Amino acid sequence: TAQPTQKRVLVTGGSGLVGRAIQHVINEEGGGKDGEEWIFLSSKDADLMNKEETQAVFQKHKPTHVIHLAAMVGGLFKNMRVNLDFWRNNIYINDNVLQAAHEVDAVKVVSCLSTCIFPDKTTYPIDETMIHNGPPHASNFGYSYAKRMIDVHNRAYFEQYGRSYTSVIPTNVFGPHDNFNIEDGHVLPGLIHKAYRAQKEGKPLVVWGSGTPRRQFIYSLDLARLVLWVVRDYNEVEPIILSVGEEEEVSIKEAAEAVVRALDFKEEVVYDTDKSDGQFKKTASNAKLMRYLPNFAFTPFEKALKETCDWFVANYDNARK
Amino acid sequence: MEGEHHSQKRVLVTGGSGLVGRAIQHVINEEGGGKDGEEWIFLSSKDADLMNKEETQAVFQKHKPTHVIHLAAMVGGLFKNMRVNLDFWRNNIYINDNVLQAAHEVDAVKVVSCLSTCIFPDKTTYPIDETMIHNGPPHASNFGYSYAKRMIDVHNRAYFEQYGRSYTSVIPTNVFGPHDNFNIEDGHVLPGLIHKAYRAQKEGKPLVVWGSGTPRRQFIYSLDLARLVLWVVRDYNEVEPIILSVGEEEEVSIKEAAEAVVRALDFKEEVVYDTDKSDGQFKKTASNAKLMRYLPNFAFTPFEKALKETCDWFVANYDNARK
Repeated sequence: TAQPTQKRVLVTGGSGLVGRAIQHVINEEGGGKDGEEWIFLSSKDADLMNKEETQAVFQKHKPTHVIHLAAMVGGLFKNMRVNLDFWRNNIYINDNVLQAAHEVDAVKVVSCLSTCIFPDKTTYPIDETMIHNGPPHASNFGYSYAKRMIDVHNRAYFEQYGRSYTSVIPTNVFGPHDNFNIEDGHVLPGLIHKAYRAQKEGKPLVVWGSGTPRRQFIYSLDLARLVLWVVRDYNEVEPIILSVGEEEEVSIKEAAEAVVRALDFKEEVVYDTDKSDGQFKKTASNAKLMRYLPNFAFTPFEKALKETCDWFVANYDNARK
Repeated sequence: MEGEHHSQKRVLVTGGSGLVGRAIQHVINEEGGGKDGEEWIFLSSKDADLMNKEETQAVFQKHKPTHVIHLAAMVGGLFKNMRVNLDFWRNNIYINDNVLQAAHEVDAVKVVSCLSTCIFPDKTTYPIDETMIHNGPPHASNFGYSYAKRMIDVHNRAYFEQYGRSYTSVIPTNVFGPHDNFNIEDGHVLPGLIHKAYRAQKEGKPLVVWGSGTPRRQFIYSLDLARLVLWVVRDYNEVEPIILSVGEEEEVSIKEAAEAVVRALDFKEEVVYDTDKSDGQFKKTASNAKLMRYLPNFAFTPFEKALKETCDWFVANYDNARK
C-alpha cells in the first residue's frame, strides 16, 4: 500500500502527563492517521540533558516530526527552591532536542511552553504576541526564561535555515498519569492527593495559600487532541495558546471544592494563608485557537476532574507521587 | 614585603586577547593598574574552547580563580548578526553556561560578565537604564546575540538565589580601541570606518559609509572601559548589572563618527552614504546615572583623542591587526 505522506513522529517526554494522553488518543481512540508512525520516548531511552545520548536516539529513529514535551517541571514550591536548575537543565534539554531534530532534517518540531512564562506585569488576557514583553513572575523565572527561549530558538532556526519549528502554550494541564507529589507537583494533582490522604486519615484538606488565585485548567486528553492538530496542520512559527476560554477561569478555592465533589470528600477544607499564593492570575486568550478550530469541544471541567480522580484512586499504588 | 596579603585575588579573564581584554592587560601591565595581592591570568581561545564544557572545566581547574572577568563571546557587527542569529544564540549560551558553572564549581566568589546596550528592548523610552533589560523584545537584527546576553543576567540572579553567589555583569555601549576586529564585513562600525577609510585613502577612492549616517551611538574607549571593569571587580557588589558608558549628551550620529574618523586619519577623499544598506537600530541611548552615582569623578578620554590613538595604532599595526 503506497502511503502518500509518511510521518515518523517522535515524542519526547512520552511517559509524562501530556505524552501519556497523546498515547491514549493514538492507541485507544483511533487518533492516529494512515502513514503515521509514532514513537514515545521516556528518560529510559535517553537522558536529553546529555547531547550524545540525544543525538544517538534521534539518529536511531530519524523522525520527520517531533513533539517535544520533555522538561524539568514542577509546581510553585519546587521552582522557588531551585530556579537555577530549572534554567540550566531545560536549556540543555531544549538545545539538544532542537539541534538533533535539525541535524536529522526533521521538518517540524512542536515544543511545549506554558502560560506561567508570560510577563508578570501585563494586561489581560495575555496572547501569543506578548510572551517577551516583560519579566516573568519571580517565583519560577528560571523555568520561564528557559521556555521562552524555545520561541527565540524556533525563530532563529526559521531565519537561518527556514525550519518550521513551533510551539504550543497550554494553561494548567491535569489528568491521569500526572505527578501527584504534594511538594513538587502542580495544584490540581496536589489537591487530589491531599484530599485522598486526608479522607483516609479523617483530617481536613489543607489548601496552601488563600485560595483566591485564578487559573484556566485544560484536560490532558483535550490538549493531546489539539497537539495532534498542531503537528499536522498548524504552520506558523509563532506559538499558539491551547486553552479553554477566559470565562472558564476558576479560583483555587473553586478548584478545591470541585475536587471535594469529585472525590466525595467528607472532611473540612481549610486554607493555610502562610503559604505562598504564587501568581494571582495568568488569564490567557484562546482567540487564535478558536479562529482555527471554532468547533473544538473541551471536556467539561467536572467530568475531566472526575475521570482524573477515579484514575488516581484506581491507580494509587503506581501513580507518581 | 613578605607577601602577606589580606585578600588574595586570582583573576581569570576570558576573552583576554580581544578588544576589552587587551585594554585590561594594558591597564594592568603598562599603567600600574594592578594591586598588591592580585594575580592576573588572561585566557584566549588558544587556552580553551569555551564552547566545550570539558575544556572550560579543565582550564578553570588548572587556575582555580577567585574572580573571573568573562569577556569571551561570539560577537560581530550588524551584518554578521543578521546572517547567523541562530549561531549567535547557541554559541553564546554554551560559552556562558560553561564559564559560569565552572566558576561556581571552583568556588569563585565573583564573576563579572559583559553584556551590551544593543540587547535592550527595541520599543522603549529613552534613556534606557539597568532596570529595563527584559522589558520587551530586542531589535530583530541581532535577537540571537541579545537574548543570549540577557540570559547572563537571568543566570546571575539564579546563582544568587540558589547559592548566594555575587555574579554580576556590566553593560558597555559601543566599545572601540586598539586590538579591535577591523574586519569590514563582520566588525563594528568604528573599526569598520577606520579600515575602510585607510584603504580608500590608499586607493584614492571615496569612503563609503553603510546606511544613512543618521543612527546614533554612544562610544566608549576600551581603555576607559578597562579601568571601570577593574573597579567593578573590586568594589561593585550588586548582582544587578551596571551600564558603563559616557553620558547621553555624548551620543553622536554615524555621520559625525565618520567625520571624526576622517579628521583622525587626515582622510582626503569624499565621504558618501550607501542608503541601500541597513541602518540597524536607530538609537540605544543609555543612562550612565548609576555609574555617576558610584564614581562621580570618573573622567572619560575625550572622543577625538581616543579615536586618534586608535587610528594611530591601526596604521602602525596594520599588518597584524585583526581584519
